[in-house]
Amino acid sequence: MRRILDIGHNDLRVFFKSKTAYVWLFIVPFAFVYFMGFASRGPGDPANPRPPLLVENLDTNFLGRIFLDELGAQGMAIVDPTNRAAAERGLRIPADFTQRVLNHQQSKVEFFETEGSGAGNAAMIELRVVRALIAINSHLIEVATQHGESGLTDEAAFRAVMHAPNPVNLNAHFAGRKPVPSGFNFSLPGNLVMYLMMNLLIFGGAALAGERRNGVLRRLAVHPVRRGELVMGKIYGLMLLGAVQIAFFLAVGKFVFGVNLGANLPAVTLTLLVFAWVAGSLGVLAGSVLKAEDRVVGVCVLASLAMAALGGCWWPLEIAPDALKVIAHCLPTGWALDALHQLISFGSGFGAVVKPLAVLLVFGGVANLLAARFFRV
Amino acid sequence: MPFLHAHRLGKSFGEVRAVDGVSFEVQAGELYGLLGPNGAGKTTTISMIAGLLKPDAGEVTVDGTPFWSDPQRAKRIMGVVPQELALYEELTARENLEFWGRMAGLTPRDARQRAGELLAALSLTDRARDAVKTYSGGMKRRVNLGCALLHHPKLLLLDEPTVGIDPQARLNILEFIRGLRANGTAILYTTHYLEEAETLCQRIGIIDHGRLLAEGTLGELQERLGGDRLFVLEGDLSGAQPDAWPGFRERFRVIQQAEKQLVVAAVGQRDPSDCLKELLALPVRAENVTLKRPSLNDVFLQLTGRDLRE
Repeated sequence: MRRILDIGHNDLRVFFKSKTAYVWLFIVPFAFVYFMGFASRGPGDPANPRPPLLVENLDTNFLGRIFLDELGAQGMAIVDPTNRAAAERGLRIPADFTQRVLNHQQSKVEFFETEGSGAGNAAMIELRVVRALIAINSHLIEVATQHGESGLTDEAAFRAVMHAPNPVNLNAHFAGRKPVPSGFNFSLPGNLVMYLMMNLLIFGGAALAGERRNGVLRRLAVHPVRRGELVMGKIYGLMLLGAVQIAFFLAVGKFVFGVNLGANLPAVTLTLLVFAWVAGSLGVLAGSVLKAEDRVVGVCVLASLAMAALGGCWWPLEIAPDALKVIAHCLPTGWALDALHQLISFGSGFGAVVKPLAVLLVFGGVANLLAARFFRV
Repeated sequence: MPFLHAHRLGKSFGEVRAVDGVSFEVQAGELYGLLGPNGAGKTTTISMIAGLLKPDAGEVTVDGTPFWSDPQRAKRIMGVVPQELALYEELTARENLEFWGRMAGLTPRDARQRAGELLAALSLTDRARDAVKTYSGGMKRRVNLGCALLHHPKLLLLDEPTVGIDPQARLNILEFIRGLRANGTAILYTTHYLEEAETLCQRIGIIDHGRLLAEGTLGELQERLGGDRLFVLEGDLSGAQPDAWPGFRERFRVIQQAEKQLVVAAVGQRDPSDCLKELLALPVRAENVTLKRPSLNDVFLQLTGRDLRE
């Protein structure tokens, strides 16, 4: 056991003596997470967009202010007239707005297009303005019901009604299928799985081929190190490398890109470590089966890119055709992403990833056995 | 009892018989040289002794125990210096030594201490913190040697440990190896350098085409040529026919015959001046006749009919 640890720790030290390792472990994946996350998040944050609305409030009385607050509560970013260019649409509240409403007269609120604005969020803004107007009318009815006609002139009564919890709430979910992971929630696990597979395959395979070429493996074999210890030491070294990359990705995801890793960080970590074992075993297998380093690199680059693409690292499997989903679930990358999306994007618990984890363990066991079978010095 | 006993070792790779019935022994404190040209079977022999290859025939016994009955035991008491520079070039000499020490079974503390001792003994302390890839060839060879010595092996297998380095670096390494022998280590040393075998080894085995052709001390091998001197005739010897010269074969043994050179040894104990007179009287145009001490190359020449340096 001690020799397995010694071999693994030494391999990790050798990996980190290479500048190339830092580029492929940290810099390139960081850039890809950022780029793919940025590209897949859409025109704005789909969970909470706040379109800018110019409001010219000519009413100096309290209902104008209440209306402004209600627009904000409906998800509008209020822009004042000094910053017209930032707005996508405009709203003019007339000076007699409060007076006419309290006199039971109609008041005309003008909704207009600002100069240079496109169609972009127009429909959403219009919808939210209508919702705000409906809300104001609801507040009027509720205040009149609670306090009578006299209460309509009491701003405090209005605000109390506004801030009271709604008696009826609508809790909306996607019906029939799950939402599609997007933004950094998609790019972080996708790139983590892709770069774990790529780095452990390439670094593992090429390092093994290099050590065979320069005689280091033969030198290890003339020491009192059993063949099994040697294979496990090599895989352990690659798992350590994977653990460094996993820690980096998770830290960057949480603290730089603000990804909510869910309430099951231990399950996320376990899934990734099991996947690192699979990838490390495949790396040792590649380095055992293929002789020359350049051939190892070529084959491993192609294999890892293919597994990344087909496994759902480049696009969410939720939008892929069924045939691609079947293919993805023939690959360890597909199962790893399945588990990660369950934990990170859909907020599932450990129970949801038992099956993916079991499949990954089978992949790892088979790859490990094959690596041990074909390992040669 | 010999510390290492190779008994009728045989190994084939497909149709090629790389090693064929090689037997020899190495005692504790003895430096045994296996001399032969490239491709003679030296590395295959040492690989079988180190456990890298399993012999097709024969047996290796280390310290009285057959190697394959307990390979881990044998590996614990032997150190192997491979022909290639089997080092982690990105790591420092100290890191390399400590790692190989731990692989040999030392605790981290012992490996650290022993690495320090070896760095000093190999004159590498000043560069101990530099990556091995920045070292000269001679320094790398010294680290390569040191990596096999961390655990004080009782048997040391050295496979051409001075290949590709300058003469001064080679002398330093040879001197270090002499010190190891003096400490009682049994050493098997393969080389294709005649001078190394002559000056370093107590006994020498000459190997070619996978077969051990002769073995013994330098003196014993020289004796095979019929004494301690050879006669070299130089000139136009293209038409020379020693078999046609009356009584020549009874008095001289031909070691090498070429167009411009004839090397012979006197048969029996004879006066060199008489021999010179007889050679000058031969019916050939000899421009020069010289007397020399027989070298291992002459022994190899006599055994194989070709020059070891070819």
